[in-house]
Amino acid sequence: MTRADYCAVLFAALLLPYLYISQWSDDEAGISATIMNGNETTKVSLAHNHTLKVDGALGTSIIKIEDGKIRFVASPCLGKQCIHSGWLAHAGEFAACLPNRISVAVLGEAARFDSIIF
Amino acid sequence: MSDPSNNAAATKAGITIKTSPEDHLIAWLAALAIAIHIIESVLPSPLPGVKPGLANVITIAVFILYGWRTAVWVSMLRVLVGSILIGTFLSPTFMLSFSGAVASLLVLWLASHLPGKGLGPIGLCLIAAMAHMFGQFYTAYLLFIPHQGLFKLLPLLMTAAVIFGIISGIIVRSMLQHLEKRKNNATTSTTAQRNEQEE
Repeated sequence: MTRADYCAVLFAALLLPYLYISQWSDDEAGISATIMNGNETTKVSLAHNHTLKVDGALGTSIIKIEDGKIRFVASPCLGKQCIHSGWLAHAGEFAACLPNRISVAVLGEAARFDSIIF
Repeated sequence: MSDPSNNAAATKAGITIKTSPEDHLIAWLAALAIAIHIIESVLPSPLPGVKPGLANVITIAVFILYGWRTAVWVSMLRVLVGSILIGTFLSPTFMLSFSGAVASLLVLWLASHLPGKGLGPIGLCLIAAMAHMFGQFYTAYLLFIPHQGLFKLLPLLMTAAVIFGIISGIIVRSMLQHLEKRKNNATTSTTAQRNEQEE
């Protein structure tokens, strides 16, 4: 074993824990979503369950994150289209509350659909 | 490659292919690597992409004994002919195998330019195995499974690469020691014979 050999083994011994920590830690895990409030965009991770309150143009919308999914649970708008959109879990899925000017989009590497037309 | 002084030639309908001793060496070593490659492809694998990579033992031994150029020949022939014989030529398996071989050859090229004594068999096998895995992994990511989730597999695959890299390094080291011993025995026996003849 030459000195370079020990360096190579040391490099491997340091690389492996780094890979395990960087790839398997919970913070990086799962997908994330963006919440657009007017012109303001915030990114949230869907890894931890919690409820968000977002103040929009009309009032406060409540957005819930649970088990890697996100949805509107309450909104001050009339139509409640955003709530009827239900849970969003896959990359590219989208729900918007136009009266309150808040929208939620799930991010990911590749969206399942380019666009959906009703 | 072609050396006119060598007359090991195949003649057919007036076409003569001249082969040099280097060609023969490459062919023998590549045949050995191909045989190992094929035997290994029959072994069941616990995880896709995890293979002992014993054919790389030949590549590294060739790299140490005959240099980088010969190692490139042997490795590329092994991937090409091995895939044709198994029937995976130009399939995803071939792409992965090919990209891994290219990555490990690139790393070996870098290693051949190290100052000082450079890397020994174990270090070379280790870095070649890791480069092989990275090359294979990125090809799989770019061409076949472009999903972030694939990176969850990387730590496991890399662990396997490190373990198998060190094991094949130990194999290469004992192989080279064995060859060295045989070479010494051969030279001493030939000198002994010569001495006997002289007597």
